[in-house]
Amino acid sequence: MTLSIRETVMQAATSLAVNKLRSALTTLGVAVGVFSIIAVMTALDAVDRSIATGLSSLGANTFQIQKNPATVFGGGHNRNLYANRKDITWQEAQLFKKYMEERARNIGFIITSQAAQASYGNEITNPDVTLTGGDESFAPANGLDVIAGRNLNDGDLRYASDTAILGSDVAAYLFQQGQNPVGKQIRVNGKVYTVIGVFSKKGAAFGQSQDNFVLIPITRYLDEVNETSSISITVEATSQKSYRQTIDRAIGAMRLARGLTVKKANDFEIRTNESLVESFRDIQNIVGTGAFIISFMALLTAGVGIMNIMLVSVTERTREIGVRMSVGAPRRTILEQFLVEALLLSLGGGALGIVAGAGAGNLVALQFNLPVILPWVWIVVSLLVCSVIGISFGLFPAWKASRLDPVTALRAAR
Amino acid sequence: MSERPFIIRISSLSKHYTMGDQLVKALDKIDLDFRENDYAAIMGPSGSGKSTLMNILGCLDTPTAGRYELNGQNVAEMDDDELARVRNREIGFVFQTFNLLPRLDCLRNVELPLIYAGVSPEERLERSRKALEEVGLGDRIDHKPGELSGGQTQRVAIARALVNHPSIILADEPTGNLDTATSRDIMDIFGRLSDAGNTIILITHEEEIARFTRRIIRLRDGRIESDSAP
Repeated sequence: MTLSIRETVMQAATSLAVNKLRSALTTLGVAVGVFSIIAVMTALDAVDRSIATGLSSLGANTFQIQKNPATVFGGGHNRNLYANRKDITWQEAQLFKKYMEERARNIGFIITSQAAQASYGNEITNPDVTLTGGDESFAPANGLDVIAGRNLNDGDLRYASDTAILGSDVAAYLFQQGQNPVGKQIRVNGKVYTVIGVFSKKGAAFGQSQDNFVLIPITRYLDEVNETSSISITVEATSQKSYRQTIDRAIGAMRLARGLTVKKANDFEIRTNESLVESFRDIQNIVGTGAFIISFMALLTAGVGIMNIMLVSVTERTREIGVRMSVGAPRRTILEQFLVEALLLSLGGGALGIVAGAGAGNLVALQFNLPVILPWVWIVVSLLVCSVIGISFGLFPAWKASRLDPVTALRAAR
Repeated sequence: MSERPFIIRISSLSKHYTMGDQLVKALDKIDLDFRENDYAAIMGPSGSGKSTLMNILGCLDTPTAGRYELNGQNVAEMDDDELARVRNREIGFVFQTFNLLPRLDCLRNVELPLIYAGVSPEERLERSRKALEEVGLGDRIDHKPGELSGGQTQRVAIARALVNHPSIILADEPTGNLDTATSRDIMDIFGRLSDAGNTIILITHEEEIARFTRRIIRLRDGRIESDSAP
């Protein structure tokens, strides 16, 4: 005859409560393991959801041609491959536009440098403003509207005029409420520009503002900014239907512009919203796998800890086991009791880890202004893994307890 | 008196084991019967085999040869689970060192056999409370063993032995750790239990304690030396 589950759990809980500190410390090991997997998975989930909106940074039917992919994975060979690529030059960009003829609704050129500082009068921004060289298609390609003043035009490009359009964050920073930035003269990295417009607000992605930039004509940028960097080409297809075709056409045009012979592989990348999401998925997989391995190691260690504590417990409670046997506890019930104690330790740790991990992960979600996320799949997986750990590492001590000889056990020192 | 039915029938029971290269005959071909409502003391010097006999009577140990019939069942041939069941249903133990679980209160200690008997929580509470009242500790049910005197602790142990209405109560030196006055109290309780119809077998090496019983069995070198009324 065996005890009811409730009875067994109650007994196990009572036993664990006797050594509160010891039980808590043992539990902690499991908690750390579960924490890492749950925290990482919650955070990745949060980022994943934010991507659905935030990473769709390119406008509709729009793709980008760049020298390098958004993220590079793999060993030195891959890295070198990308590092040796030539920048996309202004000449190549112009050739590309020519070869594309009228196959695209819009072709824009962008070149950016981070860490610029803008000022107007006494107002000075942090040196984290993105200075962007672009053209009139920058706004539509990025899903932005010019809400005050005007967009760049052909004249600005042709004459490389010293004009600038402000991202909404920069505008808000430099100009007081009610002040019209249009027509004012600002400085960016010491150079003077006349503000001709302000962009609408786009919001944040990955917890970073997308409105902290100043747009100047790309021709002016190439003249003035002494940084050799590669131009990004933004192409908007005429329709959803022609999107794929346009990409194929663009690859051909770009190969031509770059002077690639037939045998040579593309030395540029096409970035679409999908490819951005894809490259994020790569990160997600790598980080997720890493977290899983770390968690697994931590849980194995915690399992050894549980086994250790349970063995100590069995030795300490030899007399108790003898007493229980003398009043009629069958061996199987003794085994169950100790097994459930091990299980409670590991599941308790698991629960702790889940709560802490989900809490930490949701701090990330908070950064993205996302609602609370609970990674149900990983919670279930964690609890299952904890059960397996508890049972497998608790089995030997429990078996040892159940095999004690009652006469010897009753004689054991307390 | 001899119409009372047998509870225990032991015939040619032996327990031999080797210690080093020496064969120890802890019990050697013992024949012994107990009838219902017997109140017996097993006496003998240390090494006489009385503890071994106690362990076998209590189904904590098995004989190497012979027959041990408890309520008509041959215990000598039972497996571990059956023995656990017999310990639970048929036998109530009282130990010299009390053997209560220190972190459980009196009530929880007393109900332990009922838990393994599968008795419902409500009934357990009821029966444990009653058993504690029987030994005069109705007002101490929520005390832990450490908060009680030696005599009180042994009374809790007696309540635990009683609670599942066993066929026999086995007491191993129940007064060995108690002073004279307290020992008398405990023996009074055993006397009352015997008067109420219980079968009680106790092990002691004190003549004064044995004199409380109605039958004294003396062991020496694994054999019965005498079996008589005090």
